[in-house]
Amino acid sequence: MINLIKSDLYRIFKGKAIYITLAIVIIIGIVSCVGMSSGYIGVSTGSKLTSFDKESTIALNEANNLIEYRNIIKSHGSFELDRQIIGQNGNLYYLFIVIVVISLSTDFSNKSIKNTLSSAITRKQYYFSKLVLIAFLGTLFVLFNNYFSYFLNLIINGDNFSMPFMETVKITLLQLPLLYGIISLLVCFAFVLQKTALFNTVSISFIILLQTLIIGITNLFKINLNGFYDYEFQSALSKLADFPTNKYIIICAVLGIAYIVVFNIIGYNIFKKCEIK
Amino acid sequence: MNEIILKTNNLSKSYKNFTAINQVNIQINKGDIYGLIGRNGAGKTTLMKIITTLTNKTNGEFELFNHKDNDLTQTKRRIGCLIENPAFFSNLSAYDNLKYYAIQKGITDNNQIIQSLKLVGLEDTKNKKFKNFSLGMKQRLGIAFAILDNPDFIILDEPINGLDPIGISDLRDTFKRLNEEKNITILISSHILSELYLLATRFCILEQGHVIKELTKEELDTECSKCIVIKTDDTKKATVILEKELNTTNYQVVNNEEIRLYDYLEQSQKINKVLVKNDVNIKQIQETGISLEDYFKSLISSQN
Repeated sequence: MINLIKSDLYRIFKGKAIYITLAIVIIIGIVSCVGMSSGYIGVSTGSKLTSFDKESTIALNEANNLIEYRNIIKSHGSFELDRQIIGQNGNLYYLFIVIVVISLSTDFSNKSIKNTLSSAITRKQYYFSKLVLIAFLGTLFVLFNNYFSYFLNLIINGDNFSMPFMETVKITLLQLPLLYGIISLLVCFAFVLQKTALFNTVSISFIILLQTLIIGITNLFKINLNGFYDYEFQSALSKLADFPTNKYIIICAVLGIAYIVVFNIIGYNIFKKCEIK
Repeated sequence: MNEIILKTNNLSKSYKNFTAINQVNIQINKGDIYGLIGRNGAGKTTLMKIITTLTNKTNGEFELFNHKDNDLTQTKRRIGCLIENPAFFSNLSAYDNLKYYAIQKGITDNNQIIQSLKLVGLEDTKNKKFKNFSLGMKQRLGIAFAILDNPDFIILDEPINGLDPIGISDLRDTFKRLNEEKNITILISSHILSELYLLATRFCILEQGHVIKELTKEELDTECSKCIVIKTDDTKKATVILEKELNTTNYQVVNNEEIRLYDYLEQSQKINKVLVKNDVNIKQIQETGISLEDYFKSLISSQN
């Protein structure tokens, strides 16, 4: 199992995709810190950290350059920009897709999985090696994203816009179970769907469709799904960075663990029986 | 007694509406070069996939190196294979692809990678990316992968597809060398029957998932070679006459009513005359002899 992980790391770091993904994390971090606003991909966020009063919002829209823009934000008073950035870790979902593709789906697409499974590696070893590898790379990206953003923000924007270091550590730890749950969902998708194109289509549309459905049902049928929406994963990651209650933390942790268990049971059992083409 | 490398017992694999292999019983002994012959869809690849655990059997069982099929983790270390098309990472070079599998297999000596590449004639192109390889080079890399970990048993599915005549000849020599010098057992399938004939020591003919014939090279030669088939109810007397009157021992008694004579070809009338003159009752006498391809066709048509 260790050998399989080592060989995959050798292969992944020989390719370009991992460095491009890392570059994207760096660019998002730089843009967020310089622009003093966290980037966001998705339909909606439940964060209340980004709110400005009406006057400031108009002034921000009318700013002529980046310096003016930054000055307006700074004049608004201090706030914890790094907390905002880490709150948008739902964005990492899309980077996790890349990690799953380069670590696992490629193996199915080019059929090199046959070479591995016909050697002394069992399907169980293969499945869990890939899961550990993807979780490991995912953790590296989360840690890199969080601490790169934290230190860059500290350097560029100073103490007034930064939270204590230990708070970053705490939020990272709170988010990890849910992030591992999401990684398990993607790993399950990859083992079930096998083809890279199909995996990409399903996993990208899944998150958009989920959010659209929740918002659509809420608006169309005037049903209050806020309780449900609070635990939608992008929303939950954001709320976990935003002074969550103990009850909320526990529910999110349990939810993350439940995702890990359920999706891996489904993924492994389907993979165990499937024919390798 | 020869060590048994692979033994299948009523091995079957069915899909929803289709039986890929049906109650297959074969045995491969140490040192064999076992040729699998069959049309497309006959079940050759399915059989290889079951043995390499790429697909699950439906019924029956098999043993690999005397280990039951539910306990193959350790024994699979002793096999190397190339199933269907060679599949590697297109953005990696030949060397890096093999290095990837070397790490996976726990091989620390990089010299083994070089040796494998050398054996298939890819040492000069080891840094070329897989995506830039010709079909023949891809096949060679697949074979290099199969022999990377010095296996005892190699499973090769259509390994000479896409190779030029010199490449085929080189690989044939390589397989023979691996078999003779390192005593590696080989299970190989190919559509190029003439090539398989030059390589294999035993043959298995599959049709519609069934084994319709399993025979050694000598038996195949006997089945295919040009000879005069004499059918008589007294083979003992007939052989005495052949030796005494025609001075030949170049014959084979196939069963108690058939003799195959490999001398006096195209002189069946003369043979008939001599035997009849010596009171041997001849039921039938005819000249025969076919190519492996014709033999294969005749077997298939007799099945259908």
